[in-house]
Amino acid sequence: MPEAIETQLKKGVLALCVLSLLSRGDGYAYDIASRLAAAIDMGEGTIYPLMRRLQGDGLVDTYLVESSAGPPRKYYRLTEAGRAAYAQQKTEWAAFATAVNDIVGAGE
Amino acid sequence: MTRNEFMTRLRRGLSGLSPAVIAEAAADYEAHFDEALAAGRTEQDAASALGDPARLARELRAELGLKRWDASKSPSSALSAVLALLGLGALDILILLPILMSVLSALVSLFLAVIVVIVAGGGVLVAGPFIHDFQTPWLPVFGGLAMVTGGTAVGAILTLFTIGLMNALVWFGRLHYRLIKPAIEAQG
Repeated sequence: MPEAIETQLKKGVLALCVLSLLSRGDGYAYDIASRLAAAIDMGEGTIYPLMRRLQGDGLVDTYLVESSAGPPRKYYRLTEAGRAAYAQQKTEWAAFATAVNDIVGAGE
Repeated sequence: MTRNEFMTRLRRGLSGLSPAVIAEAAADYEAHFDEALAAGRTEQDAASALGDPARLARELRAELGLKRWDASKSPSSALSAVLALLGLGALDILILLPILMSVLSALVSLFLAVIVVIVAGGGVLVAGPFIHDFQTPWLPVFGGLAMVTGGTAVGAILTLFTIGLMNALVWFGRLHYRLIKPAIEAQG
């Protein structure tokens, strides 16, 4: 089931990617969704359940900004807990990626 | 799929949840369509890029189900967490079901046995002295009390075990569909 594994892998790193984008600046969901969808080939809709989870866990909070066209946009920003979670997940990811690369690279 | 079809399917997938939750989720996707149209994309393009609305609804439901179990440990929240995980396909039913069924039926029969012992203990305590002439009058009282307290203690241990089992199940399900556990869980 290579397809299933790929989906699971992407889902696993999606939260990390969102935290990383937000660590560089606040963003609104459409922007985050379209940037990530282009980069890692994920359904854009997956962002919304994820944002709700991150908000429920207290990692992000939201504020409204008037937009020039249409209704106000809901912006997301990292909370203190979000910054801490990002730092830890980044470290975990780096260790995991290194371990996988060592094993995969050793076979060549 | 048009914008209307997408929203209808999403709402159908979320039906039964609280109106506030449905309204919030629907507002997110409506805003997404607004942005996409403003950026010059078609409704069809935006809808297909969002993905399957039924699947998105299941993900939202699952998140709420797990949250309920975290917030309150009750049989109904346990059921909703298990259903949510099954809906996600995070728990492999074919592998887990036989194991779960035997563990569950063992737990249920143990709980029933405990209740029987407690009730019987109460009966001995109250009625014992009247239906049989014990040589020592305190024997049925003492015996009945021992059965009631013993049954209660075993029941408490069983409850703790059941909560632990559910926690393990929820943990497994989360790990399965997330791979990387959120660091925030370390606080709990």
